[in-house]
Amino acid sequence: MQEILAILPSSVRSVLTALPSTVLEVLEEIRLRQNQPLEIRYGQQTSYVTPSGQITSHARQGWVFTAEQVVKLLNKVSQHSLYALEEELKRGYITVVGGHRIGIAGKVVLERGEVKGIREVTSFNVRIAREKKGVAQKVMRYLFEKGNLQNTLVISPPMCGKTTLLRDIARSISYGSEWSSSRKVGIVDERSELAGCLLGVPQRDVGPRTDVLDACPKAIGMMMLIRSMSPDVLIVDEVGRPEDGEAVWEAIHAGVSVICSAHGAEVHEVAQRPMLGKLIKHATFTRYIVLSRSNGVGTIQAIYDQNLNPLKKEKVVWSS
Amino acid sequence: MVKLIGAVLILFSASMVGWQISRFYSQRPAHIRALLVALQMLETEIVYGLTPLHRAFVKVGQRVNQEVGKIFLLAAEMLGSEQAQSAEEALQKAVRRQWSQTAMRKQEKDVMASLGQVLGSTDREDQQKHLRLAVTHLRGLEEEARAEQGKYEKMYKSLGFLGGLLVVILMF
Repeated sequence: MQEILAILPSSVRSVLTALPSTVLEVLEEIRLRQNQPLEIRYGQQTSYVTPSGQITSHARQGWVFTAEQVVKLLNKVSQHSLYALEEELKRGYITVVGGHRIGIAGKVVLERGEVKGIREVTSFNVRIAREKKGVAQKVMRYLFEKGNLQNTLVISPPMCGKTTLLRDIARSISYGSEWSSSRKVGIVDERSELAGCLLGVPQRDVGPRTDVLDACPKAIGMMMLIRSMSPDVLIVDEVGRPEDGEAVWEAIHAGVSVICSAHGAEVHEVAQRPMLGKLIKHATFTRYIVLSRSNGVGTIQAIYDQNLNPLKKEKVVWSS
Repeated sequence: MVKLIGAVLILFSASMVGWQISRFYSQRPAHIRALLVALQMLETEIVYGLTPLHRAFVKVGQRVNQEVGKIFLLAAEMLGSEQAQSAEEALQKAVRRQWSQTAMRKQEKDVMASLGQVLGSTDREDQQKHLRLAVTHLRGLEEEARAEQGKYEKMYKSLGFLGGLLVVILMF
């Protein structure tokens, strides 16, 4: 939380620090839009914040984020160096110290039909990343079969704790657990979310035997890591593009286990997607972990094996 | 005897004044050169290294001539400690504080001021353009300063000594 407050302009900071601590503790998003009241999302609720740090549902009472604040925030987030954020402005979000992510929107500049960046940024969505250690404990035993790490696909809708789970799996494998001795882990962290690297150094605990390739495109990064760092297991977040699929395929056939994640709510839904569908059909993955929010963030909805037979008895929702 | 000591003192101080003025002429091109090198390093850091501005300032500041480097170190410090709200403000303040320690003139200061307005606030290509423009500008000023150095450096040195000598002669 301190990290997030440090990058906000002092005026926003003072409004937020005046919030009740019960709200601050569960704060998930801070939304800042030019000339609009400050909005926060905490727990499962959203509300505006008055200048004195009170929660309100009336937009008119909310503390208004002015154009001047926009410039200040952008200056602070970019460390006065917009040129260093070109890639980030193209993708639409910026990762800051601690692995928190700030989504941005504004006027898009095109160059030959492709997005070159966002100029005149007017909306910010500060997403607070929370590290939860130990969430992988519930799934670790399903990831091994006769001591062999299984290739796993974590399927989850947005905001269900997919990245948190992947990170904890990486950490557990790297440190070693009661199901296996420690192994070399390679993380390709395209969005700097898994390890939350700052200047190449992971800000999150991803384990002592983990090598992170920060901000690298997944497909290229996986191949690079296999060649250079000889990992036992590769961990990547949000695979989806055709080249990612090829890289996963190649990594698995190069004798490296792969644990990755994809957006989706169910296995059969993900199987509709061209690249992932092919991988699922060929039984490339031998474990599927499906997450949901039904019992709060990070509910493990189901775990399946390569033939899509459920492995986990409790909390299994299977529809075909 | 007292007169003799007085004469020596006058001669000495007059020479020192001349020497000081001539030093100003000899240092100006050197300082402009240092600033030029600094801006070129800054260009590398920004365009190829994508180094955030305050770290780029520190890197550059440590590697060039002390008087000029201090400007960048000061600016970096102000950005880091939130004494300045923007890169422009930081650079402006640093220049204001440190400028008198250098032998540079208002023309060079203007170049820095206009560079400060865009530094860090645009994309890479644009940063490169502005930095190159500032460098070209400074090159012109450096040549001018060198020509002045050739013309005035020696002159002021001798002028100081000879002026002192004149007073001494008049005294006796």
